[in-house]
Amino acid sequence: MAKTKPVDDLIYPQNTGILRVLFGIGALGIFASFIGFFVDTKQFHFSYLTSFSYLASFSLASLFFVMLHHITRSSWGVTLRRIPETFSYQLFILAIMFIPILFGMEYLYKWTSPEILATDHLAQHKQPYLNQPFFIIRQIIYFSVWSFLGYRLYKNSVKMDENADWGLETLQRKISAPGILLFSLTVAFASFDWLMSLDFHWFSTMFGVYYFSMSFQAFFAMIILLGLFLRSRGLLLNTITRVHIGDAGKLMFGFTVFYAYIAFSQFFLIYYANIPEETLWYYHRLEGNWSVISYSLIIVRFAAPFLLLLSKAAKSNFTLLGISSVIIVVIHFLEMHWIVMPTLHYHGFSMHWLDISTLVGLGGLLLGFFFYQFQKHSMVPKNDPKFLESLNKH
Amino acid sequence: MSKKYEYVPEQPLVQGNHTFSSITSLIGDIVERPTPMWWYIAFGVSNLLLAMLLGMIAYLVWEGTGIWGLNNPVGWGWAIINFVWWVGIGHAGTLISAILFLFRQGWRTAINRFAEAMTIFAVMCAGIFPAIHVGRIWVVYWMFPIPNQMQMWPNFNSPLLWDVFAVSTYFTVSLLFWYVGLVPDFATLRDRVKSKFGRIIYGFFALGWTGGNRQWQHYEKSYLILAGLATPLVLSVHTIVSFDFAVSIIPGWHTTIFPPYFVAGAIFSGFAMVMTLMIIARKIYGLEDIMTINHIEKMNMIILVTGTMVGFAYVMEFFIAWYGGVEYEKFAFINRAIGPYAWAYWLMFLCNVFSPQFFWSKRIRRSVTASFILSIVVNIGMWFERFVITVTSLAQDFLPGSWGYYSPTWVDVLTYVGTFGLFFTNFLLFLRFMPMVAIAEIKMVMPQADPHYYDENGDEPVLTDKFAKKPDVNA
Repeated sequence: MAKTKPVDDLIYPQNTGILRVLFGIGALGIFASFIGFFVDTKQFHFSYLTSFSYLASFSLASLFFVMLHHITRSSWGVTLRRIPETFSYQLFILAIMFIPILFGMEYLYKWTSPEILATDHLAQHKQPYLNQPFFIIRQIIYFSVWSFLGYRLYKNSVKMDENADWGLETLQRKISAPGILLFSLTVAFASFDWLMSLDFHWFSTMFGVYYFSMSFQAFFAMIILLGLFLRSRGLLLNTITRVHIGDAGKLMFGFTVFYAYIAFSQFFLIYYANIPEETLWYYHRLEGNWSVISYSLIIVRFAAPFLLLLSKAAKSNFTLLGISSVIIVVIHFLEMHWIVMPTLHYHGFSMHWLDISTLVGLGGLLLGFFFYQFQKHSMVPKNDPKFLESLNKH
Repeated sequence: MSKKYEYVPEQPLVQGNHTFSSITSLIGDIVERPTPMWWYIAFGVSNLLLAMLLGMIAYLVWEGTGIWGLNNPVGWGWAIINFVWWVGIGHAGTLISAILFLFRQGWRTAINRFAEAMTIFAVMCAGIFPAIHVGRIWVVYWMFPIPNQMQMWPNFNSPLLWDVFAVSTYFTVSLLFWYVGLVPDFATLRDRVKSKFGRIIYGFFALGWTGGNRQWQHYEKSYLILAGLATPLVLSVHTIVSFDFAVSIIPGWHTTIFPPYFVAGAIFSGFAMVMTLMIIARKIYGLEDIMTINHIEKMNMIILVTGTMVGFAYVMEFFIAWYGGVEYEKFAFINRAIGPYAWAYWLMFLCNVFSPQFFWSKRIRRSVTASFILSIVVNIGMWFERFVITVTSLAQDFLPGSWGYYSPTWVDVLTYVGTFGLFFTNFLLFLRFMPMVAIAEIKMVMPQADPHYYDENGDEPVLTDKFAKKPDVNA
């Protein structure tokens, strides 16, 4: 029977141009944000948290995807897997990028303020959980877990590139299974810490799942865009084919619906029960022109990609997939903004230039690191036991 | 890393060197052989239980819901618990058929037919409870928005009404899905059975299937569309069921994680039920080559994952009950853990969260005995989960003066036991008269279905050794 062989060049062409551009943009953004720090410290911290939570969501969802791919022994996405692997490897960089947030806690989180603690009953009640030392300890735990998982899964995968030892696949599964359990708990509590505790009166058991569902939808948009980018550069044209991108498209479609399901359920249960301690969070977000974002989440984040990608042909149409992915990646940032910013600007939606500069700064650096790492090794796990099966998909 | 790991290749889905024709006769013969004695015994017992169910319902209709253990403030008791439990069990079938089909999980073919049948019968059992709970069953049609001269309409704002739509839609689509999948297999049986009567009956349901190219194309298309339609339904049904509780402001019920948590719990119990029944059926009918130990292992993994998801939801609920700082919510959860129903709460925790953790061990995952025992433990646990949710929040409500201890009556218990009669009566009929494994689909995942399997002349590769491995088509 016919055997398939990879015919593409599997190494990213060594060029420092893209790195120079990305790191340059990143440095520029960081520099601008640094100035912004002195201009408006409070705004800086809120913008930084928004950009951080946005960018972290891609790496976290990447980690989840890699682990899920291993424990389900999937074959379809093997040719794509090095991209999320590289993203999850970067989680230790995100740990470093989190440090400014620790220094900005007094600006971001009202529960740190002694005056509020003295008068607010709920702040006192929650103090055993919401206090600065424990918050910092928790962040150390989260980032150690994530960095460890991301690092190990990436290193084992590139090791298999070299020694073709299929036994590593067993090891990857042994790491991934408990990894997913740790991931779900840490991400849920991290989302409580970073985002839910901004408004510390508010609570929702679904919030962790909500942050995850947003992230996972946006993750597929990102992987489609990166796949299309590689193809536009003439790379991996016969390795990452229409089938693989189409499969990612199907999952993006599926998780668009999943996101809508989770986000709507959370809103709906609070809306229906109509108890003041819960409704306030949504009330702020339906007030003034924040409501524009709220409604556009329904239309742009759910309805648009849903309708665009509903037909079978659309899910492997590069133009439609590209458009939907760009929409999702952009609205994902707006949603993160919509989660964070009403704490600061509860009267209405407004973009501050710091929102852009922190995003460009952190995003440029992270993408720069991504391509730096991506150039070092083969762009696909070429010795993976299921690599040829993945290549054979049609 | 000093320890060396071995690569574990995936096993072929169908074991034991089967050919297409041996698969057909393995499954088809079950229907054509004379009815075994055990079947009559089991059917007789099921019929007795079914008769008991009908008796209990008749008594209920005659006397009213007062014969149940319900009392203010516990207005929802075993009826709702049983409803949610059966609907939950009815989730695995369509999940296996629809969602695993969309995810291209070839192993689903061994169990999908079986699980779909279970789904349909479980939903039937579930549907009984809300219907008889209305008290005046002769006006049960008021649940539907039928135009009438009294201008009486159901409350469209109520999730209980949405349940009527959700469950009936789910039942309809599951039935259609099941039937569409059965058409090619009915045709196989039509062509095999010896009795004229059987030929007519199977021929009627086979819709003139000949297995032509065009028919297969239509079949595949409709199957895909039905899978696409059924997938959101799997999620929506139990979501609406969770809304029955979560939209209210009863402490312990009103929590935002309910929808995905209920869905995970439903899949959890559904898989456990499929496991229980499958382990018995594969033994009796000698289907170990199709429903292999690898299938059992995969299902156990799903049980582990969904059980842990349920555990995750328990943790979130408990944490937020404290974190939220709402007095009543906090009380509801502490009351669950140390109140009068603590025994039920810890039993639920033990069965749903701790017991599936045994499946981390590969040996236990692959042990038929352990899987059988744990699958039953899981379903006991899931029944108690619904008991804990429903009863603990109601029995100790906002007014301490009305607190009490809810106990079921004998009618409650016998009605519940009776639903097993309905379930097994149907299930035994299914085992007896229908192809219990999707014959056509199982062939699609066999090596012979791959064109690369054959040699240059289009012949089967010659296997000298009986246990020789078939060539790996993916290599």
